[in-house]
Amino acid sequence: MTISKWMWITLSGLLWGLAIPTLAQQQGVAVKSDDIKAEPFKDAKTVAALNKGDSVTILKKQGGWMEIKVSQRKGWVRVLSVRKGAGGSNAAAEIAGVAGVATGRAGTGQVVSTTGVRGLGEEDLKSAKFNEEELKKAEAAAIAPDQAKQFAAKGALTARQVNWLPTSKTVASEGR
Amino acid sequence: MSKNIIIRIALLALVAFQPIANADSLRDRLKELRDRNRPAKQEPQPAPNNASASEEKEFKIPPIGPIPLEDEVRLGRQIAGNLLGAAPLVKDDMLQQYVNRVGRWVALQSDRPDLKWTFGVIQTDDINAFAAPGGYVFITRGLYATLKDEGELAGVLGHEIAHVQQKHHLKVLQKSQLLDMGANILKKRVDKGGSAAQRIIGSGAEIFSRGLDKDAEFEADRLGVILAARAGYDAWGLPSVLQEISAVSSSDNAVGMLFKTHPHPDERLSRLADAMGERLDSLKTSDNGKGRFYKLAAK
Repeated sequence: MTISKWMWITLSGLLWGLAIPTLAQQQGVAVKSDDIKAEPFKDAKTVAALNKGDSVTILKKQGGWMEIKVSQRKGWVRVLSVRKGAGGSNAAAEIAGVAGVATGRAGTGQVVSTTGVRGLGEEDLKSAKFNEEELKKAEAAAIAPDQAKQFAAKGALTARQVNWLPTSKTVASEGR
Repeated sequence: MSKNIIIRIALLALVAFQPIANADSLRDRLKELRDRNRPAKQEPQPAPNNASASEEKEFKIPPIGPIPLEDEVRLGRQIAGNLLGAAPLVKDDMLQQYVNRVGRWVALQSDRPDLKWTFGVIQTDDINAFAAPGGYVFITRGLYATLKDEGELAGVLGHEIAHVQQKHHLKVLQKSQLLDMGANILKKRVDKGGSAAQRIIGSGAEIFSRGLDKDAEFEADRLGVILAARAGYDAWGLPSVLQEISAVSSSDNAVGMLFKTHPHPDERLSRLADAMGERLDSLKTSDNGKGRFYKLAAK
């Protein structure tokens, strides 16, 4: 069927769009100023300063840290200080635009999700009919807490105490 | 002197009426403060005085106050069944089993560990995830395909579990019931012949096409990150997925509904960055389930 063929091309195009920069060294841009550290932890020596807007090359990630190269200096910054793509979200959109070319949808701008050819657009959701059989299948796959605990132990995962995050300042100051 | 008194009265009035105008957000804030400091994980007992819940015709949820657990599950079940009517489960038992294990483990770290949590991956290329009241959580195959490890899956599921914990969708339904009562004063409601639960949730699974308010999404992000971290995963799974989605063009069909119903990933990331700051720096790095992440079979 042609539609599913196109779906496939879209998906693989999209994956390529994401995969190529991952395999090669990925570009990013600093979305906030930060210290560039010699090693991936807070108290490590600061080797240089990262300035908002700097273009960086992403080398690798480790937990909350990202190793980057910026004007020939290497070092570690916080993951959330850098956004992927050469010029922030615009450039990131260009990267994803590769997928747009593959589907012939490049330049068409916003494609409204209600076309409903595939996926879960507004109409698909609205006209959805209760599917008892699938729901029962889903419910049958639910597991007991003990099974989940065994699974966690096998993966060397231990529960730990971590406090909830506070509402960020921007959220608090933004009235409703 | 008297001028002074008038000013004082005016100020007093301002202060006094402020909380009324903002009663909703104030209550949310207070609740948030309370929840943050509450160590115990307890499921509030459902209110016993709801005899009508079992009678289909009379089934309605209270427009204010707590909704009995039984009713919450009933509504969630209807929404989940409708969603599965739009997109069935991916036919891969190993995948469904895997997602239930990760999801159940993360949900155990929430404030509602005793719900009968049900997880599933649904068959669509759309990139999205859904939570229905009572503990039903679904992620699309399209979103699953963008994940790189179990920590990222835990982060995504954590965000959805947080919606259930905070009863975000339930509150939306409750608000619409309240509006409905207002409308009924003017016009007697026409019975469309659907089941009682269906009448409350509207048409099909349309509740997911309307979305929640932005603050509920930001809150679910903040809680989701912590749920994953409590479960022993890296706290950076969810942010990492958001960074990936941020790189998808907003004109791509696959993210149409996600972008329509959620704040842009870049905005979510900057809110998360503000909230996380250096707070999670001391967390031990995680192996994220030691590379056992379940790979999708080729279609």
